[in-house]
Amino acid sequence: MRNASRYALLAAGVALALAYPWIVPNLYLLYAGVLTLMYAATATSWNILGGFTGYVSLGHSAFFGLGAYGTGLLMTRAGWSWIPSLIGSALVVALFAALVGVAAVRVRGASFVIVSIALVSMTNLLVQGWRSLTGGSTGLRVPSPFPDLNRGQSHFAFFYLFLGLLALVMLTWWFISRSRYGAGLRAIREDEDKAESLGVPTAAFKVTAYALSALFVALAGGLYALWFRSLDPIFVFSILIGSYMVLMSLLGGVRHLFGPLLGALIVAPAGEYFLVALGETQVHLAAAGLLLVLVVLFMPEGIIPAAARLVSRPQQASIREEAAG
Amino acid sequence: MSEIVLALNDLEAGYGRAALVLRGLSVTVEAGQVVCLVGPNGAGKSTVLRVASGLLAPRSGTVVLSGEDVTGLAPQDLLTRGLAHVLQGHSVFREMTVAENVLLGGFTVRDGALLARRAERVKELFPVVGERWGSIAGLLSGGQQKQVEFARALMLEPRVVLLDEPSMGLDPRTTQTVFDQIDLMRRTGVAVLLVEQNARRALETADVGCVLDLGTVHISGPARDLLADPRLGALYLGGAARG
Repeated sequence: MRNASRYALLAAGVALALAYPWIVPNLYLLYAGVLTLMYAATATSWNILGGFTGYVSLGHSAFFGLGAYGTGLLMTRAGWSWIPSLIGSALVVALFAALVGVAAVRVRGASFVIVSIALVSMTNLLVQGWRSLTGGSTGLRVPSPFPDLNRGQSHFAFFYLFLGLLALVMLTWWFISRSRYGAGLRAIREDEDKAESLGVPTAAFKVTAYALSALFVALAGGLYALWFRSLDPIFVFSILIGSYMVLMSLLGGVRHLFGPLLGALIVAPAGEYFLVALGETQVHLAAAGLLLVLVVLFMPEGIIPAAARLVSRPQQASIREEAAG
Repeated sequence: MSEIVLALNDLEAGYGRAALVLRGLSVTVEAGQVVCLVGPNGAGKSTVLRVASGLLAPRSGTVVLSGEDVTGLAPQDLLTRGLAHVLQGHSVFREMTVAENVLLGGFTVRDGALLARRAERVKELFPVVGERWGSIAGLLSGGQQKQVEFARALMLEPRVVLLDEPSMGLDPRTTQTVFDQIDLMRRTGVAVLLVEQNARRALETADVGCVLDLGTVHISGPARDLLADPRLGALYLGGAARG
């Protein structure tokens, strides 16, 4: 019965997502829907590393920006069509992440956070500095993949493209969570040394998770490039994008498949609301920061575990069990 | 005489540049035998296990596992060669289920059917593991967690298991259960090298006892004889040996 209601809820969610572009009353809400899906896809991708291994990367916007620029450059400089550009760029970014990961995931905790921030700063400087290739701080214009579509139709198409990407990332997360690989990653999250002593190849597993996470974030970045068609290095390599991935995942619950999606469904529309209500102020940033503080203080495991605890009280080892142990 | 599965020969080891903790220590463990290391704090008991399991490289001496010199090998390499180490305190993955914890013990086994058979075997050996198979390990009592650790250690069907203070923090009844499980391991042919503060209880279970002092074996012999040895009572067991 419990499973039946879960499946019914899932089916309703999928149906609502598929119907969303047809039922929203205006173009802006369709745009907000695309943006929310993009954030949900990036946060779920981030969670392949953060959720399974506990390694908190604030620098995943490096992969978002590289994916976006890679796609744009392959189209403008190499003359590739959009699909090979998108996939080729993401694969190169994943390879880059694997190479960086070999060094980056050797450090843990706060040191890893700092390394991840350094990565996004370096990629930002590289793209801005390599003016002849990337256009530098003036940015890069990307050709439209669908030149025959108007703005609204383009939002429509990208809604389903981002939805497809989100589904792909969530399926990947789901498969990992049920695999031997996922068990190894979770063991790393709890106690890396202990995991290693049991034969878990911790370094290889972390690098793979890092690269896989980067692959999907790069795909999201590439889709963003195709959707927005104007790349500003300050935005796509912004540490804020990486921070949003962390915030959304933490808010929903990093240990759950639907956690980052739930976080995105709250944070992205809230951000848009602040922009609409208050204009181009920095209030949405302050609100995001406050939300992050509140989540860490009061719901460190996120909304889903907190809600689950409300529904069913946690199982505790009883005195009888202690005695029988 | 049974086959020697683990031989620690003339080990010298220490941490960093500090003075040696082990000073020419030698111990052998035979198949199906429980060898217990007792001694005062700082005698080097846990260090012996750390060197044997590859967590600490010795400065000199050798570790021989089933006839093969494995000195300096990594813990994972020793694991696949049949040496498991159950660390001091509770070392379950607290947020994972009992099933996940136990199956992680067989992580290097790629054959799913073999892994399932071994899981069934450890469930038979440790019934509480089977009963709490789907429970979160961190919610189990201390004694239950210890049995999960034992079960995990046996998933690779090791020839020798190193146990570091398995009764630490457990009440007397749970301690009894833990020692019963050690006895069970011996009956299944597994050799056990045991470090234990509860010297009297450990010697009652062990076949051979070694009393460590200043990083070397001070007295060794049949465990039952050691229990009656007045030197041991005076030096390390307080009034225990007289009991």
